[in-house]
Amino acid sequence: MPDTPQNAGYMIAAYVVAGVVLVAYAVALWLRTRRTDE
Amino acid sequence: MILLRAGRWTTLAGLAMLAGLYVRALAFTPVERFQGAAQKIYYIHVPAAWTAMLAMAFVGGAGILYLLLRDRRFDRFAEASAEVGTAFSVVMLTTGPIWAKPIWGTWWTWDARLTFTLLLFLLFLGYLTLRGAVTEPDLRARYSAVLGICGLVLLPFIHLSVYLFRTLHPRPIVLQPARPALPPEMLLTLLLGAATMLVLYAGFVMQRMALAHRREREGHAHA
Repeated sequence: MPDTPQNAGYMIAAYVVAGVVLVAYAVALWLRTRRTDE
Repeated sequence: MILLRAGRWTTLAGLAMLAGLYVRALAFTPVERFQGAAQKIYYIHVPAAWTAMLAMAFVGGAGILYLLLRDRRFDRFAEASAEVGTAFSVVMLTTGPIWAKPIWGTWWTWDARLTFTLLLFLLFLGYLTLRGAVTEPDLRARYSAVLGICGLVLLPFIHLSVYLFRTLHPRPIVLQPARPALPPEMLLTLLLGAATMLVLYAGFVMQRMALAHRREREGHAHA
């Protein structure tokens, strides 16, 4: 039975990248709509 | 204003669900024995890919409805869906290679599934670029609708590419004719991921449509 590979670093990198993209887009949308409020 | 407020609250709900997804996927979902922890990338990569494809399906569908009914709301929805779809494509195209590196030994390979998904991203970019380049609103809506329909035509090829071509990409294990070949606890995490991305998509699209509506109104006011 092969050992389970130790590659958690890739998992963390992917979750960080996905979170950054989605939160950044949410913030960008919020800022763009807020600008039209002014 | 109602659309904008609903969009903001839906986005907040989506972000809370995203935090819940991270906790469930990272702490409460078992590690797959052969792929290791990198397999957990699946719970964000696959839902993001589904949402990007759904976004393009809506862009194409709204394009068809715009061409039939000439209702500007369909054009606004298509524009919003394309921009949001681009964000989900970025998630799909970044998390995919991060999974591929430890599993395949390479970040990228020009096989059919990967190339088609890159094409989907480029179509989103082309769609948004086209909208930025054409200033006359009716002409812009018509040209964009046609490009959106081209994107819609691409979707079956993306889904079927793993059957039609020799490809490294895994075949669907949820969207397959037999029942999903995934342990229940992993399937539940994947479904939570799909629900999270859908809620985020809805919130983003509502906000983006409200923004487009405001800009249109301001444009009329300045004219």
